[in-house]
Amino acid sequence: MGVAVFGSQANLDSRISVRNLQVKKTTEHVIHLDLPSSTHFIYVIDSIISEIVNDMGFDKEASEQINLAVIEAAVNAFKHGNNEDSSKRTRFEFILGREELTVIVEDQGVGFNRESVADPLDPSNLLKSSGRGIFLMETCMDSVTYEGSGRIVKMVKSKPSAI
Amino acid sequence: MNINTRQTGGVTVLDIDGRIIGSESLALKNIIDGEIDSAEDGEVKMLLNMKHVRAMDSSGLGIVIAAYTSVQRKGGRIALLHVSGSINSLIVMSKLLTIFDRYDDEGEAIQSFQ
Repeated sequence: MGVAVFGSQANLDSRISVRNLQVKKTTEHVIHLDLPSSTHFIYVIDSIISEIVNDMGFDKEASEQINLAVIEAAVNAFKHGNNEDSSKRTRFEFILGREELTVIVEDQGVGFNRESVADPLDPSNLLKSSGRGIFLMETCMDSVTYEGSGRIVKMVKSKPSAI
Repeated sequence: MNINTRQTGGVTVLDIDGRIIGSESLALKNIIDGEIDSAEDGEVKMLLNMKHVRAMDSSGLGIVIAAYTSVQRKGGRIALLHVSGSINSLIVMSKLLTIFDRYDDEGEAIQSFQ
């Protein structure tokens, strides 16, 4: 299995090696990632999740949905959870199962109440420039649950063949 | 993300190449805001060419929406060119299909501003 090595410095480019990620399809594999809370590092998440969904054999549409959901979760954790304080960490866990992908994102913020998030599809909110992240995560994934007062988001997407 | 700005038929065309996600979106926001600020009221005619946009998240969509509302306030108009794939899905999911004028042909898009 290829190795993914991650650090906290800004020059992560040269330290990421996910191109050769290969996972045996018969067992579950877990990848952990710990990043400083800066939206600058979204490209890291984008690269890794793209490789994972490709490796797991998700189709194009599902891959795009997963990619978007994970980026939204990451931005929420960086920006709203940890207030873009790069001294705070955001932890990612990717569980590559035979039939589904589980992504867990945990920040060090105070959490949030899902019920207090406005519906972005309400006509009065349609032209607001923000507030769609949670909605998109929940639309793109099969299930999204919140733990730890909202500091931990767990998202699951099953492979079409497993549904 | 690379953004090329050009003038065609009195319309400012922004050719966007890359991903409109996370902090990368700010480059697009700055250019759009600059174009809107420097235009006279009612003279903003802007076409966002999304042909080479590989991905967009809610932050990127928010910037396009903010541009749309700003241009509307100035009496101008903004339209999208070559919206497809995941970008189209994002707009559909967000129920914004009827908000944005979208074109698949640049000539037709430019003509629509005349």
